[in-house]
Amino acid sequence: MMARMFAACAALTLVAVGTATPSARAADFDWKKFQGKTVTFLVNNNPVAQALLTYKSDFEKLTGMTLKVDSYQEQQMRQRLVTVMNARSDEVDVFMTLPSREGEQFAAAGWYADLSAMSKDQAAKDYDLAGLSQALRKAGTFNGKLTSMPMNIEGPILYYRTDIFKKCGIEAPATIKDLEAAAQKIKSCDSAVTPFVSRGLKPAVAYTFSNVLHNVGGSYIVDGKSNLCSPKGKEALESYSRLLRDFGPPGVVNYSFQQISALYRSGRAAMSFESSNELRTVMEGGARLKDTGLAPFPAGEAGQVPTAIGWGMAVSAHSKQPDAGWYFVQWATSPEIQKRMALQGIAPPRPAVANDPEYRKWIEEEPVRKQWQAALDVLATKGSSEVGYPIVANPESREFIGQAVQDLILKQKPIDQACADADKALDALIAQK
Amino acid sequence: MTEAPTVDIWIRRLNLLQLIVAGVIILAPTVWMVLSSLKPSFEVTAYPPTLLFSPTLENYVQLTETTPFLDYAINSLIVTIGSTGLGLLFGIPAAFAVSWTRISWPAILTLAARMAPGTLFLLPWYVMFRQVGMIGSYSALILSHAVITLPIIIWILLPSFDAIPRSIFEAAQVDGCSVTRILWRIALPLVASGIAVAAILAFVFSWNYFLFALVLSNGDSKTLIAAAFNFIGEGSTQWGALMAAATLIALPPLILAMLVQRWLVSGLTLGAVKG
Amino acid sequence: MASAADAPVQGQSDGERSTGMSGAAAALTQDRQRLELAALSAPAVIFTAAMIAFPVVYTVWLGFQSFSSTGRQSFVGLDNYSKLVADREFWHGLWVTFALYVLSLVLQVVLGVWLALALFHAKRLPGIVRSLFISPFMMPPVVAGMMWLVILDPSLGAANYILQFLGLPPSEWLASPTWVIPTVALIDTWQWTPFVALIVLGGLQSLPPSVYEAAQIDGASAFKTFHRITLPLLLPTIVTAAILRSVDLLRFFDIIYITTQGGPGNASNTLNIYGFRVGFEFFNIGYASALMLTLTAIVFGAVLAFNRLRNAVAW
Repeated sequence: MMARMFAACAALTLVAVGTATPSARAADFDWKKFQGKTVTFLVNNNPVAQALLTYKSDFEKLTGMTLKVDSYQEQQMRQRLVTVMNARSDEVDVFMTLPSREGEQFAAAGWYADLSAMSKDQAAKDYDLAGLSQALRKAGTFNGKLTSMPMNIEGPILYYRTDIFKKCGIEAPATIKDLEAAAQKIKSCDSAVTPFVSRGLKPAVAYTFSNVLHNVGGSYIVDGKSNLCSPKGKEALESYSRLLRDFGPPGVVNYSFQQISALYRSGRAAMSFESSNELRTVMEGGARLKDTGLAPFPAGEAGQVPTAIGWGMAVSAHSKQPDAGWYFVQWATSPEIQKRMALQGIAPPRPAVANDPEYRKWIEEEPVRKQWQAALDVLATKGSSEVGYPIVANPESREFIGQAVQDLILKQKPIDQACADADKALDALIAQK
Repeated sequence: MTEAPTVDIWIRRLNLLQLIVAGVIILAPTVWMVLSSLKPSFEVTAYPPTLLFSPTLENYVQLTETTPFLDYAINSLIVTIGSTGLGLLFGIPAAFAVSWTRISWPAILTLAARMAPGTLFLLPWYVMFRQVGMIGSYSALILSHAVITLPIIIWILLPSFDAIPRSIFEAAQVDGCSVTRILWRIALPLVASGIAVAAILAFVFSWNYFLFALVLSNGDSKTLIAAAFNFIGEGSTQWGALMAAATLIALPPLILAMLVQRWLVSGLTLGAVKG
Repeated sequence: MASAADAPVQGQSDGERSTGMSGAAAALTQDRQRLELAALSAPAVIFTAAMIAFPVVYTVWLGFQSFSSTGRQSFVGLDNYSKLVADREFWHGLWVTFALYVLSLVLQVVLGVWLALALFHAKRLPGIVRSLFISPFMMPPVVAGMMWLVILDPSLGAANYILQFLGLPPSEWLASPTWVIPTVALIDTWQWTPFVALIVLGGLQSLPPSVYEAAQIDGASAFKTFHRITLPLLLPTIVTAAILRSVDLLRFFDIIYITTQGGPGNASNTLNIYGFRVGFEFFNIGYASALMLTLTAIVFGAVLAFNRLRNAVAW
């Protein structure tokens, strides 16, 4: 089924390979400048990277360089990266990174090479730096240094079952209140199905929770202090945990994307709030292809402020050949390559690519794709890249957000206690220098 | 004695019954895993679990198509055999010497490496092997895995050597046999089954270890077990392929165990001897 | 095998000659022998020392450093250790480690001895079936973790399906703060009981058969034979198995790394998992080093204690 869904892209890709070789022919720019060099790329083995690496040989042909790929699953990749960087090793030239998560920290530790100058002086003529989503470029900029180039745009979106909604007489929810009402209705109307599922696993919660917090108008930090105990903070904590506690599956505190997608795909969940990247996984087997609706998370008092992030490509500060690494980065994030990746279902971080007629044609082929892109358009225009606290210790801050949500799901603490405990720990993190 | 046989029969039947129960509990998960690997990927997490399905090899096909599975398997084999061999090379003489002298600190020293969490070694070893340009080489992995295999081999062989009557050695000695000669000519053949067991267990532990490979190998020398994680990434979780990979990864140690089960069950006499 | 069989005979006949050897020559042989024995264990000792000396020294040094969140590194003396004493998560991790350890060890030793006895008495069991019984510990823990993760999923897993089929209430297994430790202990027990059984079986088989014959003639009951004769003789073997399991259980990692990552909340956050997360997820290498060294010391202490116990029960 997956094959059928993406069949169109295969044909188009062939055409693309034939015609769309990056054609920078600026006098002073030469793709072959680093011919014979080997660039090592540390990869998170997600669909973005998989799509990119299908064109590995094109890069090698174009530049005469060799691309050495070292690919792991996200957590293992990070483990290797931390080791390599702490040892100040030049083994890795280019690596994938999530600026929204580790950007501050890696930038502070000096692990990123500064791409600001290279992206201007050493770019192919048709690179179109400004064409990359401004928000995502900003998210990868720390202290005025551009540290990574966006590879895609993604964020949590709501997958919902149109057939169940129809059966229970529910409209697609427009607000968080609607969402809760819908969940309530599904609970009584179809008891066999889990009304709502999203992330409950401690370190994973921030990804989806941040969207809720921003939608209700809350913010993580106010005047240098953690702000979860503010009325908005508490409202977000309560809504999110109530949705999961009262309408989520048993054991939701261990749920991350694997379980969520499996549950939804097998038809046992009516609504799933999960990454836009999971579309492929969710549609596998084809059972959900015709009965799924997609939308950004419904609005709160502050409207819709969806979480929108992207994987980035960074050049290692310890690389001995940052300019050769940059050649790979600019090739991989060029309009041509991103268009080809888009046709494989990777949401492009370039608005121009998203509006490309060829891509639009592909989008129109399936109603699900259309809704998916529409949701991503909202992410691209209104999105916030803040996932967890915008501080150096962002990864650790996510622990305490997750802890507060879990405390509430498991009813281990009353709301005031849960948010106060989190605020206290988070204030200490914020104060860390 | 006349009624003993009937009691015996009942005891034997009871014993058989409890073995069957234990066997089902022990084997059911593995059987389930193998069955899952034969289901279409999306059906692995279907609920209720499908018992009747048309078996397919698509997961295995996908596995070989999307990952250089065979290359990883060969990497794993090289590392495992290398580290087992190195462990035997160093471990056999050491175990013999410890058993002979009753000075046990060398054996304890080798075990000390197993008392520290594996994560403690990651960064230092990376720095160390980096210094000599060995990251991504088989040698780095073989050396690091030998730290796992060596204590296993020594500690399994110790009781085997202990079990050899001292008089045999003494007799050979007065005959003018050097210690080394006694080891190779006399002791070694006597502990053959112990060596078989030690080698198998060393193989299994080395084959199954994933942490060091994550850091010390790179694309070139990645082991199978380190690659197993690649099937549960965001947007690319493939339960079917994962179960197929799991089945294939678990296969070599299992086959090995079956081939040599005779020694395995008779040879592991850790600490059984008077000591 | 021929040489081994010949050896005693040979030795016996030559034995008398050597008694006449002069004292000086004997001393010379003694020295040579000592040297040879040292040379035999030298490769293992040197290799191990070479492999662990640097990591230990380096980690001790890292333990005195602070990697502040801005990536700057500075010497902070014992700060990491005083932080550790005040860290509630550390004490909680210690408690989790201990609870998981005791529960798993008791289950594995009891069930392992039981399984070994059952296998020992089923003498006619084909070897291939026996090797199936010991198969779980051959499976990579990572694979076992992934397998159980799917089986124990509260909504989709086979485990709850079977419970419901039997009319029992479903469990949240790994997702319940109360049940996560017993569940992880069960997974580990499933995997490692056969290992304990294998070791105990080896011990049973090396017991002199005369022991049983004597008991049988006395007409002792099966239970009495086990309690009075087999168990005491088996104790050193059991303690050895317990040491081997303790070393791994106190450093419990793989299965939690795969299944819960220390959650839900911090209910399964063992010291090893905590140290790993501090180092590789929060990038605080200095504090992580202090945590890991402390854990190493705990394991080392446990091994020493067990070693004493083994000497006490040796016969």
